[in-house]
Amino acid sequence: MISPKLILKSMLRRKVVTSLLLVQLALTLALLSNSSLLALQTWDQLRQPTNLDLDNILYVSLKPTSKNLQEYPAFADLLERQLAAVRQVPAVQAVSFTNQSPLMTGGSNGNVNDENDRERSNTQNVPQYTVSPEFLQVLQLDVLEGEIPQQIQAWDGAAVVPVVLTKSLAERVFPGKSAIGQLTNSGPVAAVIEDFYGQRNAERVMYNRLQIAQIYGVAWGYGLILRVTPGQAEQVRSQLPDVLKAVDANIEIFSVRTMDEQLHRMFRNEFGLATLLAVLSGLMLLVSMISSYSNAHFNALKRQQEIGIKRALGASKQGILLEMLTENWLTTGAGAVLGLTAAVGLNQLLALVISIPALPVWLPLTALLMLMCCVTLATWYPATIATRVSPATATKTL
Amino acid sequence: MEQFLYYLKVSLKSIRRAPLPYSLTVLILSLGLGVFFANATFYYRLNADPLPHKSDKLFFPFTMMVPYECQNCEPPNVLSYSNVQKLGATDIPTAKAAMYSADGYLRLTPQQPPLPVKIRLTQPDFFRMFEVPFLHGSVWPDASARAEVILSRQTAEKLFGDANVVGRSLTLDDHQYTVSAVLADWTMLPRLFDANNNNHLSEVEDIYLPLETGYDRNYLSNSQSSSFEDADYRKLPTDGRTKAIHQLQYWVQLDSAEQQQAYRQFMANLTADEKKAGRHPSPENNKLVAMRDIVAHFKQQGGDIEAFALVTLLFLLVCLFNASHLSLNRYISNQYEISLRRALGASRWHIQQQALADVLLMAGITAVAALLIGYCGVSLMNYLLPANRLFSSWDWSLLGGLLLLTLCCSYLVTLYPSLRASYGALNQQLKE
Repeated sequence: MISPKLILKSMLRRKVVTSLLLVQLALTLALLSNSSLLALQTWDQLRQPTNLDLDNILYVSLKPTSKNLQEYPAFADLLERQLAAVRQVPAVQAVSFTNQSPLMTGGSNGNVNDENDRERSNTQNVPQYTVSPEFLQVLQLDVLEGEIPQQIQAWDGAAVVPVVLTKSLAERVFPGKSAIGQLTNSGPVAAVIEDFYGQRNAERVMYNRLQIAQIYGVAWGYGLILRVTPGQAEQVRSQLPDVLKAVDANIEIFSVRTMDEQLHRMFRNEFGLATLLAVLSGLMLLVSMISSYSNAHFNALKRQQEIGIKRALGASKQGILLEMLTENWLTTGAGAVLGLTAAVGLNQLLALVISIPALPVWLPLTALLMLMCCVTLATWYPATIATRVSPATATKTL
Repeated sequence: MEQFLYYLKVSLKSIRRAPLPYSLTVLILSLGLGVFFANATFYYRLNADPLPHKSDKLFFPFTMMVPYECQNCEPPNVLSYSNVQKLGATDIPTAKAAMYSADGYLRLTPQQPPLPVKIRLTQPDFFRMFEVPFLHGSVWPDASARAEVILSRQTAEKLFGDANVVGRSLTLDDHQYTVSAVLADWTMLPRLFDANNNNHLSEVEDIYLPLETGYDRNYLSNSQSSSFEDADYRKLPTDGRTKAIHQLQYWVQLDSAEQQQAYRQFMANLTADEKKAGRHPSPENNKLVAMRDIVAHFKQQGGDIEAFALVTLLFLLVCLFNASHLSLNRYISNQYEISLRRALGASRWHIQQQALADVLLMAGITAVAALLIGYCGVSLMNYLLPANRLFSSWDWSLLGGLLLLTLCCSYLVTLYPSLRASYGALNQQLKE
C-alpha cells in the first residue's frame, strides 16, 4: 500500500531539489499551454473560409521595366497582348488583370460610404480592385444582384465608374435595402457579388469593392489572375514566365503564386512564431524528461537501502515501481497547480505584445496530460532499475 | 597557476567518473543559453540605436493639417508636399530633409537588361543628418531638380564595374542622369529614417535622386501614398505638389532644447494660422517625435520577437533551475569525497576554489555548445521570420555578453551545491 504521507515526507526532506523541480514544471506547463494556443490560433487562421479555390487560382505579380510601357496607351496594348497569350496556355480557363491580389495583408484600399448617409455608413480600409469582367469567372463568384458591367472603363476624369460590392459590404453600407443603383462615394452600385477574402487589415476581411476599369497606375506593379484546370497549376505556373516574356521582354515578374501560397504568406509571421514556440515546447518537454529521469535515477541510488528494506519486508517490485512513479506524478501535479497560474500570467503578458486569445481551460489540462506522459516515460527506466535492488545487497551494510 | 591546473585535473576526473549527469547538466544549460542567445541577437539588433549621439536631436514633425474633419484622429504617417513646404519655412532647424522611396530600373545602355533598384528621393541635408559617408564626389549643392544621381558603392560596381564613376551617365527609367557622387560602404540598421510599414527592417537604398526630380518625373512612393481629396496620383508634378497627396517623410535636426521648443511653437503657430485660414477643419494635433521613438510611434515594434524574447527568457530560467537541480544531485553524490577532503584539512576556501575550477570548465564547454545551438536557432529564425534576417549578425559585444552570461549561469548553477557541500555538518556527511 502506497502511503502518500510518506512520499510527501520524502519530498519535503529534499526541499531545494523539489522546489527547483516544481518551478521548472510550472514554467514548462505555462509555456506548453501558450505555445499550443498560438499554434492552434495560426491553424484556425489558415483554415478560415476564404470562398476562393485556393489550389486552382494563380496570381502573377509583374511590372513593365520601361517607363514608356508603364503609361497608357502602351500599357493597355501590353496588357491586351499578355491576356491573349495567357488565354492560349492549355489548362487556363479564365484570366483577368487586377491591380492587386486577394488574400493580402494590406494594399490599395479606401473608404466606401452611402453618399446619402455618410456618417453612419462610412467603412474604412475597403480593398479596391480594378479588374476586367473575367475576374468573377476566375474567382468563381456568383452575382447576387444587378449586372457586372462588361465595358472596361478608362479613368479620364469625367466618366463615373460603377462599383461592384461584396455581399457583406453591401449589407454594411446599405442595410435593409437593395444596394443596386444606390450612390457610393466612388460611383453607383452596379452589382452585388458573393463574399471573398480580400485584405487582412480591412475592417472585415470579406469587405471588397471592385470596378471594371483600367488599372489606374502601375507604379506598384499589377497582376494577372487566372483559373486553371484542377491539378494543372504547377504546369501552368512553369510556363507563364516564358509566355509573358515572349509577349514583351521588358517586364519584371516578381512572383507566380497559388492562392494557397498567398494565404500562407499572409500568416507567415504567425506561422513562424507558432513553429518556433512548438520547437521550444519540444525542447521544454525534453528538458522535463531529462530532469525527471535524473531525479528518479538519483533518488533510486540514494534510497537503495530503504528500497531493500521494503523489499525484505515484503514489498513487491510493482509496489516499488508504483511508489517511485507516484512520487513523480505528485511532483508533476503540484507543479501543474503552480503552472496553471503561470500559464494565465504568461498568456496576459504575451497579449501585451502579440494578438493571442485567452487561454481555454482544456488546453493547460491537455498540456498537463502530455507532461505527465513524458514524465512517466522518463521515470520508468530508473524506477525499474530501483525495483531490481536485491534486499540482501541493500541491507548488508546495516 | 599550478594549483589551478590541479583543480582543473580533479574536475576532469570527477566528470569522467560520472559523465552522464555532467553531460545532461551542460546540455540543459547550453540549450537554455543557445535559445536565449539566438533571440537576444535579434532583440539587441532590432532595438539598437544606429545614431546614439544624435537620435534625440533628429525629429519627425507630424501634423493634422488635412482637408477632412476628425475629432480624435492621429496625424497621417506621411506628409503632403505642400505641408512639408510649410513645415520647412523656418530657419530654426540646423538641417531638414524631406524624402520618400520608389522603385526603378537602371541601365547603362538601352540594350542592357534592366537592374531593379530601390530609389530614395531626398534633399541634400539627408546625407548630413544621417551621416552618410561619401567615397567619390559630393552631394547636390541645393534642393532643386537636377538630372544627377548618387549611387551606393555596390550599385556603382554592379553597373560600371568600378566605384569611381563620378561624371558618368546612366539611364534610370528611360531618363538620362549623371552620377554626381558614390557613397562609401554604408548601412543603417534599423533604418529609422523610414520606419513606417516596417520599412526600418529593410536595407538602405541603391540610388539617390533629388526629391524635386522625383516629383517632376512622377515617381510614386512604394511604401504609402494616401490622398485626402480628389487628386490624381499620376500627376505628381502638379497635383502632387498642390493637393493633399501624402507620401513624404520629413526630418528636422534640432540640436538644443531651445531649438526644439522654438520649433514646437513654430508648428503650433503654423497650424493655428492654417486653421484660421480655413485650410484644415480638424483640431490641432501636432507631434514632434524623436528618431529614437519613431518605431514606437508607428507601433512597429516586433511583437513576434518580443513575445519570443519573453518565452526564451522563461526557458532560460527553466533550464537554470533544471541544471541547478542536476548539479545539486551531482554534488550530493560527491558529498563523501568533499567531506573527506575537508576532514583531511582542506579549508572551505579550497573547496570553493575547486568549485570555481568546475565553474570555469563548465562555462567553457557550455559556451561552445550554446554558440552552436544559438547559430542553429538564428538560422531557424531567419527561415521562419525572414523579415528580420538583416538583424541576425553577431559582433564582439554580443559574443562577450554571451560569454559573461554563460559564466554567470555556470556560477549560479554551481554556487548553491558547492556552498552546501562546504558548509554541511562534517560528521553527518561522512557517516552517510
